[in-house]
Amino acid sequence: MTPLLQVKNVTKKYGGLIANNDISFDVAENDILSVIGPNGAGKSTLFKMISSFVPTTSGEVLFKGSRISNLKPHTVARMGVVRTFQETTIFKNMTVRESIVVAQHLRAKATLAGYFWGTKTAQDDVADFGENADQLLDFLGMYDLRHEQASSLPQGHLRALGIAIGLATDPEVLLLDEPFAGMNHDETMHMVSLVRSVRDKKGVTILLVEHDMAAVMTISDRIVVLNFGEKIAEGTPHEIQNDKTVIEAYLGSEDDEIGM
Amino acid sequence: MMNLSKTQLLGSLSLLVTVFFIVPWLIEVSGRWDFYFTLTSVALLATASAGVWLTFYIGRINIGQGAFALIGAYTSAIMVVKGGWSFWLSLPAAGIFAAIVAVLIGLPILRLRGVYFAMVTLVLTQVVTLTALALPITNGAKGISSIPLPAGVSIAGIVLIPDFSTLENTKLAFYYTACAIMVLTFAVLYRLVHSRLGHLCRSMQQNEELASSIGVNIAYIRLLVFAISSFFGGIGGAMFGAITQSVYPSSFQVVDSVNFMLNCFLGGLGYVFGPMLGTLVLYFGWDLMFELGQYQLLTYSILLIVLIRFLPNGLLSITWAGRKNS
Amino acid sequence: MEQILANGLYLGSQYAMIALGLTLIFALMNVLNFAHGQMYVIGGFVTYYVYGQLGLPFVLALVASCVTLAVIGALIEKFLFAPVIKKSAREESTMLLAAGTAFLLDALIQLVFGEKQRGVPKIVGGVFNWDFRIIMPYDRILICVLAILSIVGFIAYMQYSKTGRALRALAQDRMAAQLMGVNVDRYSMIGFALGAMLAGLVGGLLVTITGVNLGMGGPTSIKAFMMVMIGGAGVISGAIAGGIILGFLEAIGLAVLSQYGDITYLMIFVSLMIFLAIRPQGLMGKPWG
Repeated sequence: MTPLLQVKNVTKKYGGLIANNDISFDVAENDILSVIGPNGAGKSTLFKMISSFVPTTSGEVLFKGSRISNLKPHTVARMGVVRTFQETTIFKNMTVRESIVVAQHLRAKATLAGYFWGTKTAQDDVADFGENADQLLDFLGMYDLRHEQASSLPQGHLRALGIAIGLATDPEVLLLDEPFAGMNHDETMHMVSLVRSVRDKKGVTILLVEHDMAAVMTISDRIVVLNFGEKIAEGTPHEIQNDKTVIEAYLGSEDDEIGM
Repeated sequence: MMNLSKTQLLGSLSLLVTVFFIVPWLIEVSGRWDFYFTLTSVALLATASAGVWLTFYIGRINIGQGAFALIGAYTSAIMVVKGGWSFWLSLPAAGIFAAIVAVLIGLPILRLRGVYFAMVTLVLTQVVTLTALALPITNGAKGISSIPLPAGVSIAGIVLIPDFSTLENTKLAFYYTACAIMVLTFAVLYRLVHSRLGHLCRSMQQNEELASSIGVNIAYIRLLVFAISSFFGGIGGAMFGAITQSVYPSSFQVVDSVNFMLNCFLGGLGYVFGPMLGTLVLYFGWDLMFELGQYQLLTYSILLIVLIRFLPNGLLSITWAGRKNS
Repeated sequence: MEQILANGLYLGSQYAMIALGLTLIFALMNVLNFAHGQMYVIGGFVTYYVYGQLGLPFVLALVASCVTLAVIGALIEKFLFAPVIKKSAREESTMLLAAGTAFLLDALIQLVFGEKQRGVPKIVGGVFNWDFRIIMPYDRILICVLAILSIVGFIAYMQYSKTGRALRALAQDRMAAQLMGVNVDRYSMIGFALGAMLAGLVGGLLVTITGVNLGMGGPTSIKAFMMVMIGGAGVISGAIAGGIILGFLEAIGLAVLSQYGDITYLMIFVSLMIFLAIRPQGLMGKPWG
C-alpha cells in the first residue's frame, strides 16, 4: 500500500546555506510520526516545505501519489494536508467559536456569491458550520470557552485552539508545529491524549515537530531524527532511543530542555 | 432571502427617510440650495471612501482611490461624449473598467503589505493624472468639458428615468441619484461584512498565513475585494463628472486619494458607516472653512494633525462602545 | 549618448540625495515622510531668501536651509510622530499624520513664501562644451559635484560617527538598540532631522538651477517614493541606486520619448509595476511587509 505522505529527496538551500539535505521518509496512513532533532536541525524548514509554505530547492513531497510541494499553500490545504502554527498564530480578534466557524472554509458548498446573496445552500452551510464547530469544541474540551476572545486565552488553550482550527478543515494529514512547547508535565500529558484522540477518533494522520522527548516517545508510532539538515535516523521510539548516532547528536549539542 | 433584524430594519429605514425626504425638506425650508451640491458631493465621496474602507478590510492601506475615480470619470465622459452612449450605461461600465484596471495593477502589488502597498497606490494616482495628460483620447490638459446632462431611460414607452435636461431642478435629481448610489454601495458593504465573506476577509486581515493554511485563496479574495473597491471609486468618479459636466486631469489628485483614506479613518475603520460619517464631517468642515480664505488649508491641516495626535483611532471610537464587526 | 549619461548623472545625484533622506526616516521609524517634497521646497525658498534676497554667500544660504529643515524635522518628530507612534498600534495613524504634516507645510509655504515661482541668479556662469557631445552649464556640474560630495559625506558620517552608528543600530533593530543603551527617542529625532535636512539641502542646491515654487512639493514627494520603491526601502545603497536609476530613466525618457508626449513617467511606472511584480522589495530592500 502506498504511504499516505511521501517526502522524497527534499533539499532546501538558502544561498550557500543548506537547511535540509536530501531528506526522504514516508508517513503511513493513520500514523503519528514525529520529526525531532537539536535546535537548528532544519525541522521547521522541512515542515514548511511539506505544507508548501516554502518552495523546495529540489525533491518533492507526495500526498496520495500527487505532488503537494511547490504549490500554493491554500491548494495543499484543500487537498487535505493542513498545518498548524505556533501558539501566537490565531485570529486575534475573533472568539474561539468564530475561529472554528471560519476555519471550515474547505467544507463550504456554496460559492462566494452564494454567501453574498444568502442562498439556501449558503444558509445551510453556515448552520452546518456552527453545529460542527460546537461538536469540535466539545470534542477538544473547549466548549465552555467558545465565546472567549482568542487573544485572551491562556497558552495551553491557545495551542488547542490552533489544533482545533486545523482540525476544522477536515484534514487527512495534520502537521503540528511544536504542540507541546512550553507546557508542564500535566499539560503535556493532556495534550498527548488530545492528539492521540484526534488520530484515533477522527482518523487523521499526524506529523509533528517537537522538542519534548518524553512526549515524543510516548505518542509516536515512528520518529525521524534530523541533525544539521540531514536525516540521521528513522524508526520506532524504541529503536531511536537506542540509536548511537542519535544519542551522540543530542549529547554533543545543548540539552534541549534547557536550550529552549 | 436575507433576514434583517429589527434594529437593522429600523436603522436602514431611518437612514433612507432622512436622506430622501427629511434633508430635501430641510433644504426647501431653509432656502440653502447650495447644500444640494455639497451633500451630493458628500454622497459620492462617501461612495469612493467606502471602496477604500473595503480595502482596509482585507488589510491593505489604499491611497490610490483617486486614480480609480479619475479613470471612472474619464471612461464615462468618453463614452457619452465620443461614443454617444447613455450616461446610465456608462456608469456601470466606468465602474467595471476601473475594476479591470484594479485587477491588472492588483496582481503584482497586492502581495505587498503596509507602507509598501500604500506607497505604490499613492504613486498610482499621480500616474493616472499623467496618463490623462498624455493620451489623445482624454484630450490632454483640456480635459473633456460640456458633457451633456444624463439622458432619460424608458422602456416600452414608460419613463424610468427622466431626461435631466428636461428637469427644472437638476440639483435635486442629482442629489437623489447620488444618494441612491451611496445607499446601494453601503448596503453592499454592510451585506459583505456581515456575510461569510466578511468573516473570510477578517481572517485574512488578522492573519494571512493562517487563513492560507485553512484553504482560503488569499490572493484571489484580495484581488476580488480590490476590484470591488475600485468599482465604487469608478462610479463615484463617473457620477461626479456627470454633475460637473466636465473631467480634467486635475479632477482627482493625490490629495483626494489621501482624503478618501482620511474619511474612513475619521469615521472609524471598524464601522461600516464610518466612511459616510467621516466624509460628512470632513467635507462640511472643509466647506465651512472656506470662509477662512487663505488660512483654509492651514486650519484644516492643524485640525487634522490635532485629531490624529489625540484620537489616533478615529472619531467613532469615542462615541460607540459597540462593535459593528468582530 | 554621452549627453544622456551626463544628464542622468546630474539628475541622479540630486535624486539620490532626496531618496537618502526619505529612506533614512523610513528605516528609523517605518514612517513614510509625505512631507519630504515640501521640505525640499522649503529648503529652496530659504536659500532663495538668504542668497537671492539678502545677498549672503551661497554656502551660508545652504547652511541656513539645512538648519531650518533640521529644526522643522526635529520638531515634527518630537511633538507629532513620537507620541502618535507610541499611542497607536495602527500604521494608518502615522500615515495620516504624515499626510497632515504635508498639508501643513504646504499651507505654511503658501502663507510664508507666497505662490510665485522664485529663482536665484546663477552661481557660476558659462557652459561646458565638449565637442558638442556633452553640453552642460557649469552651474549644473557644480551642483552635481556638491551633491555627490554631500552623499559621500553623509555615508561617511553614518559609517564612522557615533551618531551615525547609533542611527544604523536603531534602523536595524529598535529593540536591540535600546537594550544596548541607545536613547531611542533622541536618536529618532536626530534621524528625522537629518533626513529632513537632506531634503532641504537638495532644495537649496536646485533652486539655483530650476528655481522653486509652492507646487513642486507633492510631485517631488511622489518621485522620492518611486526611487525608494525601485531601490528598496530602508537601505542606503537602495536609496542611492533608486535615485540614480530614476535620474537616468528620466534623462533617457526625455531624450527618447519626448516625441510621444509626456509619457516618460507613465512608462517608468509601468516598468516599475512589472519590476515590483518580480521583486517586490526593490533592488536591495529588506523583505517587505
